[in-house]
Amino acid sequence: MKALGIAATGMMAQQTNVDVISNNIANASTTGFKSARASFQDLLYENLAREGAPTSDQGTYLPVGIDVGLGVRTAGTVRLNAQGGLAQTENQTDIAIEGRGYFVVNHPDGNTVYTRDGSFRLNAEGQIVTQQGYEVNPGVVVPEDTTRVEIGETGIVSAYIGSEPVPVELGQLTLATFINDAGMRPLGNNLLAATVASGDATLNNPGDPAVGILRQGYLESSNVNIIQQITDLIAAQRAYEMNSKSIETADQMMSTANQIR
Amino acid sequence: MDNTTYVALSLARAMQRDLDVTANNIANANTAGFKAERIIFSSYLHPDIGQDVGEGTNFVVDQGSYLDKTQGAMTRTDNPLDVAVKGDAFLSYRTPDGQVAYGRDGQLSLDRDGYLVTLSGARVLDDGGADISIPPGAGNIKIGVDGTIASDETGLLGKIGMFDLPDVQSYLRIGNSMLVPPEGRESLARPAVASELQQGSIELSNVAPISEVTRLMMIQKAYDRAVKMMTNEDDLRKDFLRRLGTA
Repeated sequence: MKALGIAATGMMAQQTNVDVISNNIANASTTGFKSARASFQDLLYENLAREGAPTSDQGTYLPVGIDVGLGVRTAGTVRLNAQGGLAQTENQTDIAIEGRGYFVVNHPDGNTVYTRDGSFRLNAEGQIVTQQGYEVNPGVVVPEDTTRVEIGETGIVSAYIGSEPVPVELGQLTLATFINDAGMRPLGNNLLAATVASGDATLNNPGDPAVGILRQGYLESSNVNIIQQITDLIAAQRAYEMNSKSIETADQMMSTANQIR
Repeated sequence: MDNTTYVALSLARAMQRDLDVTANNIANANTAGFKAERIIFSSYLHPDIGQDVGEGTNFVVDQGSYLDKTQGAMTRTDNPLDVAVKGDAFLSYRTPDGQVAYGRDGQLSLDRDGYLVTLSGARVLDDGGADISIPPGAGNIKIGVDGTIASDETGLLGKIGMFDLPDVQSYLRIGNSMLVPPEGRESLARPAVASELQQGSIELSNVAPISEVTRLMMIQKAYDRAVKMMTNEDDLRKDFLRRLGTA
């Protein structure tokens, strides 16, 4: 009886589903977080009778075969890259991306990583850094005596220094885009890494065609739709129960079979 | 010949097969684009021989299984590369081993070379059977109801092929929500007529939970019945032997 194993794959799939949904709910207020969805595919089929097998020497063949599936597997988790809402913070180093693209961050281990979380700070040297203190590429240094930092839609960072009425241009933030955003690997801390599946990063200036623009003083909220997540959670729980019902049925049938005298 | 036991046995075996198929449907209740599988049972008439010519004996055989083609519910994901098929059409894919397969799974993604692929890495084919590639600068991709892919930056990029498969019931299921034509026979695929693609949505599995769970109960009862029949037959035989012995 294959039903036991089949239903077990179904229960494992629903467990993964609940894991992914709870992570989404846990990150509902995480800046720049993109909700994920577990997606499933059916496993191989056992072809007990092949479609198209000859049934006579007159050229007739079986119109349908018998395909018994062997369960389900998690094919992957797909990030939904829909834009999150923009929340105003009035903080001058908070930047939200409106549209496609990722900020480029130099990880202390030497790798380049990417993020949508624009809650940046200045470190002791005046460098623009992430919340973990990692340098935002290209390293823009805000000089001392700066009264106000201005970041334009196209990423140009300029500073009003002292009582100077004209701002000084300090540099321009870049945005990386990928062919397949969904293929990026999440590292935690709102950081993502490029992978073979995502393709190499293309560096652009904000505001280029098909690249997002920057909004100073805003943060991008997560794009988690809580109502959707809760309904998905209910559906996952019921699906889990149904699979356990299959196991129960298989179990009872086997116990019945044991009673044959 | 002791027919009663064998008739009951054929029912018990058929119910086991049905349980496997039903368990698979339930396991795939959350698989996008999944179509439920159903088993067809038929009776196999065993002709009577000798002096006991009567009605004959009917055994249960599982004749085949078929695809339940009912439309699954649509759910919005707002992911630009998710497409759901509305209607009877199928999308076509080239599996990593080069085979052309058909299916309804529209959770698409791009591979490192920019080709439109499914999550298992099979390339999605256009209406002429060629791969579809999306250039890096494409930006926001729009997919029309007829499968046309376009973007504001680069214009027309291709067209996702949709096909009607009149012979789909004879196809082999190979997993990953895909079907392939049986070996040695050409597919009768032809361009779809009355189907539409919906961008930003996925088609959920068409497994109806209530009917599957009810089916589980029916299967179990039928199985119990079969076993009961075998036990009764056994009791009768025992009784018969006992009486013969005392006569």
